[in-house]
Amino acid sequence: MKRIFIDPAKCDGCKSCTLACMASHQDMAHRQGSLTELRQAIYALDLTDPATQSRNRIVSDGEGGYRPLFCRHCDIPDCAGACMSGALQKNMETGLVEYNADKCAACYMCVMNCRYGVPAISPDRKRMVKCDFCQHLEEGPACVRACPKKAIEVREV
Amino acid sequence: MERFVIIGAGAAGITAAQVLREFREEDVITVISTDEQVHSRCMLHKYLGHQRDAQGINFVGADFFEKNNIYHLAGQSVSKIDTQAKTVSYGDGYSTPYDKLLIATGAGFFIPPIPHFREAPNVFGFRDLSDALKIDDAFAKGKRVFIVGSGLVGLDAASALCERGAEITIAEMAPRVMPLQTDDYAASVYQKVFEERGCRFLLGIGATDAVVDGEGNITEVILSTGEHVPCDFIIMAAGVRPRIQIALDSGITAERAIQVDDHLRTSAPDVYAAGDCTGLSGVWPDAMAQGKAAALNMAGVDEVYEKPYPFKNTSNFFGVTMLSVGRLDLTDGAEILVHKTPKEYKKAIIKDGKLTGYLSLGDISNSGLYLHLIKNGIDVRGKEDRIFRLTFADFYGINEKNGEYVYTV
Repeated sequence: MKRIFIDPAKCDGCKSCTLACMASHQDMAHRQGSLTELRQAIYALDLTDPATQSRNRIVSDGEGGYRPLFCRHCDIPDCAGACMSGALQKNMETGLVEYNADKCAACYMCVMNCRYGVPAISPDRKRMVKCDFCQHLEEGPACVRACPKKAIEVREV
Repeated sequence: MERFVIIGAGAAGITAAQVLREFREEDVITVISTDEQVHSRCMLHKYLGHQRDAQGINFVGADFFEKNNIYHLAGQSVSKIDTQAKTVSYGDGYSTPYDKLLIATGAGFFIPPIPHFREAPNVFGFRDLSDALKIDDAFAKGKRVFIVGSGLVGLDAASALCERGAEITIAEMAPRVMPLQTDDYAASVYQKVFEERGCRFLLGIGATDAVVDGEGNITEVILSTGEHVPCDFIIMAAGVRPRIQIALDSGITAERAIQVDDHLRTSAPDVYAAGDCTGLSGVWPDAMAQGKAAALNMAGVDEVYEKPYPFKNTSNFFGVTMLSVGRLDLTDGAEILVHKTPKEYKKAIIKDGKLTGYLSLGDISNSGLYLHLIKNGIDVRGKEDRIFRLTFADFYGINEKNGEYVYTV
């Protein structure tokens, strides 16, 4: 499986990954242009829309360094192990923990059970929000491509 | 070739079946369940609220048994386990042999000894799809619903029915709603959203008696205050009891729950138990974890099951979301920190430098680490001033080999 490896020492807290994640997942229904292009374009990002959520977070360590918080798509995922609707499943072929919003009952057991505090909830309280590895992008995770320091990179595990 | 039999098709039983199939490709796996179809108990309100059909609350695919080559004997109840001959008797005089057996019979709703309540045909639980079907039928005939208990199950039922135009009265013995998960303020927020939708709460009040018609149906509930509340039917949500009858009838050690060791083995050889029937915990994630651990042991993997931490839950009613972990009721000698804004309410209970309780009402995003901190007694000394803003960054560590996170404490 592939995983986004993190080198916190290289992160300088620019949050390009955060913006890229938001851009990659924003609702494009009311916009013009090619989906892939727009998703890559930070300029199309509507920061006033509460639904524009990032799936990753960069947290300062208080001493000048940064600690990137990204979904690990864990080998034994706490989130999927708590899911009572079957919406969260570990895909044994790709290794990704995949989310099916149509199945989800928004009970948020996944939020409670992830020991790393990764899953978030949507503003309408009807979905959970976490990394999907940008499966809609041929080029792979938008965050990784946006990182100017190569602090995050996709590796085979 | 080994024969694995699982009694029960809930979170524990289904997870066990799935894990067994992963480890044993060729062996025979049979699931016997009183449930006609697999469904998530935690999603019954979606069915009762007519937001989803029965397939919509199936937590595995419709083709689960076929795909995994597992026999499902649906709608069959087990009458006895012969632990000597290693057979399970079920249905109308049938029996099947096993090499390894898992009891995952779950828990059933409990009716307190209030006169008429245990006999009345219009008193329902809200645990299984069959309960939801009965309530649905009763609701077609009368819309006045009396719910006993305001825990998650009672409020689930209320949330489903109030949006369908029910006239709901909820009696709660405790002085606030969802007493196990809330404090007074959080409870008041939930009470308000239900009252806005027409529910009436009777707090600190119990049902003590009932008026019945010629068929034994309860037509009025008599309260501890003497008030009579007319109703068309009653939903019992005053707690559950592990289903242990099969174990008792088969000589397997059980008192309030089926006794298991740290490998989820019962007192009978090659018989395991998992899920609510073990009484170890009553929440979905723990039932899944037990199903998995039991299956691993049944498959011959030596898997120790660590006792779960049962004080945890989340709720989401009408978009009001809450996470509640630890013991909010134990505050002696503890420091209580509160953060309150118009949109959010958070409370942390700290004792001897450790979090013992945490409540978050509002945006509960990213709050899973609080369960980990409480469950593992991780020291939070020096972090009190930002206790509501803790993230995994405060305990950051990376496993260089596989890129996963690890706690550094």
